[in-house]
Amino acid sequence: MSVVDVSASGDAVVTTARPRRGVQRVLAGNAWLVFAFLYLPILVLIVLSFNDNRLIGVWTDPSLRWYRALANDAAVLGALKNSLVVAAISTTISTVLGTAAALSLERFTYRGQGLFDGLLYLPVIIPDVTMAVMMLLFFVQAFDLVAAAFGITPQLGLTSISLSHVAFNISFVAIVVRARLSGLDRSLEEAAADLYATPWQAFRRVTLPLIAPGVAGGALLALTLSLDDVVITSFVSGPGSTTLPVYVFGLVRRGVTPLINAVSALMLVGSMVLVVASLLIQRGRGTA
Amino acid sequence: MTGTETHVPAGRDRRPDPLDDGSGVAAVALREVTKRFPGAGRKGGDDEVIAVDGVQLDIADGEFFSLLGPSGCGKTTTLRLIGGFEFPTAGSVRIFGDEMALEPPNKRPVNTVFQSYALFPHMTIEDNVGFGLKMQGVEHDERTQRVAEMIELVQLGGREKRRPRQLSGGQQQRVALARALVNHPKVLLLDEPLGALDLKLRQTMQLELKQLQERVGITFVYVTHDQDEALTMSDRIGVMDGGRVLQVGSPKDIYDRPRTRFVADFIGDSNFLALTIDTSGAAHLPDGSMVRVDGDHAAGSTVTAALRPESIGLHGHDVPHRDDLDTLDAEVERVTYLGKARAYQVRTAGTGGAVRLDVRQGNAPGSQHFEVGEQVRARWMPDSLTVLDD
Amino acid sequence: MSMTNAPVREPTDEPSEPAPEGAGGPGLEHREERARARRGLLIGLPSLVYLVLLFAVPLGIVLVYSFATRSRTGRTILGDWSLDAYGRLIDSLVLEIFLRSVWLAVVSTVICLVLAYPFAYYLATRSARSRAILLVLVMIPFWSNFLVRTYAWRVLLGSDGPLVGLLEGVGVEDLRLLFTPFAIVLGLVYGFLPFMILPLYASIERIDFSLVEAARDLYGTGWQAFRTVTWPLSRPGVIAGSILVFIPSFGAYVTPEILGGSKTTMLGSYVVRQFLSARDWPFGSALSFAILAVMLVAAMVYFRTGGKSL
Repeated sequence: MSVVDVSASGDAVVTTARPRRGVQRVLAGNAWLVFAFLYLPILVLIVLSFNDNRLIGVWTDPSLRWYRALANDAAVLGALKNSLVVAAISTTISTVLGTAAALSLERFTYRGQGLFDGLLYLPVIIPDVTMAVMMLLFFVQAFDLVAAAFGITPQLGLTSISLSHVAFNISFVAIVVRARLSGLDRSLEEAAADLYATPWQAFRRVTLPLIAPGVAGGALLALTLSLDDVVITSFVSGPGSTTLPVYVFGLVRRGVTPLINAVSALMLVGSMVLVVASLLIQRGRGTA
Repeated sequence: MTGTETHVPAGRDRRPDPLDDGSGVAAVALREVTKRFPGAGRKGGDDEVIAVDGVQLDIADGEFFSLLGPSGCGKTTTLRLIGGFEFPTAGSVRIFGDEMALEPPNKRPVNTVFQSYALFPHMTIEDNVGFGLKMQGVEHDERTQRVAEMIELVQLGGREKRRPRQLSGGQQQRVALARALVNHPKVLLLDEPLGALDLKLRQTMQLELKQLQERVGITFVYVTHDQDEALTMSDRIGVMDGGRVLQVGSPKDIYDRPRTRFVADFIGDSNFLALTIDTSGAAHLPDGSMVRVDGDHAAGSTVTAALRPESIGLHGHDVPHRDDLDTLDAEVERVTYLGKARAYQVRTAGTGGAVRLDVRQGNAPGSQHFEVGEQVRARWMPDSLTVLDD
Repeated sequence: MSMTNAPVREPTDEPSEPAPEGAGGPGLEHREERARARRGLLIGLPSLVYLVLLFAVPLGIVLVYSFATRSRTGRTILGDWSLDAYGRLIDSLVLEIFLRSVWLAVVSTVICLVLAYPFAYYLATRSARSRAILLVLVMIPFWSNFLVRTYAWRVLLGSDGPLVGLLEGVGVEDLRLLFTPFAIVLGLVYGFLPFMILPLYASIERIDFSLVEAARDLYGTGWQAFRTVTWPLSRPGVIAGSILVFIPSFGAYVTPEILGGSKTTMLGSYVVRQFLSARDWPFGSALSFAILAVMLVAAMVYFRTGGKSL
């Protein structure tokens, strides 16, 4: 029970600045309270998803009944497939674009950089609802233009959803990669150049391997955000292109059912697997 | 070795090169090199920082040349201009006669040992050392052989497969050296390579580096703020301050004949004596006593001269005068015990303004010691008194 | 994450030298550095173009729509410009929704701060090992699906859910938790608490605790040391966390839709309604801009007060 000074070296140095025992207890108690608050609802939901009874409040027997029902639910499976397609496409594109943006802003200096920087941050702080409105109106206008020019009217669908997801994900990837880049000793890249590497070789053999954990982290964040999004997707999805969160959201608004519990539990487990995977990647690749 | 000091009239016409004394092409030749960094404020503002200011420098083939100066004096920027990590705002950077000012680092025949070593953390020692050869397209067999030889040379045999993080600071430093030297650079640039090591290891590495340089015969340009390091290792030293090279010369030159107050003060300790030249050309201290100085100085002018504390001998007040030594009678004001030496501050008993001198006396057995208040006689060889330019 | 362009210079002995500015530097190096600047711009260009096309342009379109008018059938008429949509922002119904959104967001932010500050302090004063583990435990719910986490509270708070059952068991009668402002605040706090914890943790962890010792050494009590040293030094974290919680709470849609009722409409839901059911796009666009304005003011407060990292 002591205050540790981690400011410089990360070594735990016991200081005399420790709060009194009573204060320590309150702090610890609060911490457990917060953890309980964060985890109990999730745990309850997972447990309830194994309840055999149709009524949420009445526990009968543990069973996989609702999971079996899910496996045969074409709507859920279709939505899941859409979600995965959108997530894969938008993550790939936004990881490439976001990494390039991070490099461009962090490793070069040019005029107009400030504007680019600002534009890159806006999608992060803009509320979902506003972004959703922007995307909807954009596609409506763009489709009008296409119709006027080519005589064919495109429909909202997986493409418009993916494009919208890329629009907000570029920024998140760029922020994560940039944090990694700014922590990377610049003399490593200078050393590569000094040792006869062309700019491309220096990037390929030194910069990229060293920022790889950051790129992976950014990609996982993009994947998570894409699989999470409800508002923006529901604005730019068309017939047959409903994603899993949007579909579940529609169900939830109508009420609580054991089937939703099961989908939710699966989605929770899915995102936790992603977190653990990301942590393992960050740890496995080590830090520069 | 080329000349000791550079005097070039400012001007655009660089041909014929006034520094080319016909003794061969300099390994590195800097001509009127200036590097300005724009300030933090608005573009084109007046707050530019002049990091390097019209530097002229010739570094001869095969010499160990040190750039010495305090933090922010422009020595690292000068090194980076030679390495290609910065491009000069004006001036010319020639490496063995080839103009390189605007070439990127990968097109220059020089290699750098970085202050942080900048070893690639994701590669083994072997891959680190072989990186430059690989980039140059040296084929596998030759590469393996040269890498192995170089790792042997820096005594890291058996550690080829380790990662940089698994090595000690001194070992990492050697990998950085090997990684640069394996490419047979025409010039090796070293940016405070020993700065991160502790004192004992640093002293060992100083010796090793110097021996290595003599063995490989490559020109070393070595940046340091540590005067002892520069004096120990260098063939020649360039002392920098405020973006300018103040003096170039051998360690002995620099130490014994500092040209400016800055050089005299930065390297070792000095007494600064204000001298007045009388009509007959003789120099007087403020207390009226007369000393001998080099060169002709205008009558009535005042000059500053530097005198090293260890160049002064301290004796009892009854020691006889000697014609070949200048003498001052003084009283001991303070004594500080330094272990291997004693530092004295003495004050003259002359009639005019008092003169204070710092004196250092070794503690060898049998050497004479004095107490505060004792009357002493200080003596020095006239040529150890150096008249400064400023 | 730095918002300003401050490229890291040589980490060597000349820290006083500011960075060279590519296209603007003086002298002969222009040609080389301009080439380098061009390469940098080229690398960033695809993202820049994408963001202009799919972010800046859409933003402009929303602005244009907010000045359009709506036909009787719900079609948006571009070309017949008016400020009607903005005029309607001061309708009493809209103001009520606006104030409710601000109120619920502020309450959620304050509760997050009260919970997160001691938590972050506790976290920051653990040993390096347990800190890493505890941080991961905070991150896991943070990365978990937001919709599902909100849904969990719908299950918990429902009339046949475990919480109501528990409370009825101890004698509380006729309890309604779901579809109340309480449920919304609970959902918002639950959803965004990690946004408060992480910046707070980052700023408290950075504090040099020898300063606290110095304060104690100079006869300060524990509370005085906290008030005069720890709290001021952790303020960037407090501000960053508060804004990171306030912005999404203010514009929330999913949480009030799932946990709120018809009498607790928030601005986010109201905007969505203009597009998906009322078909009043000009008004919806004006509302979106109002949200954006509040968000920008909050973000400006953040950057003015020197906040830099997320």
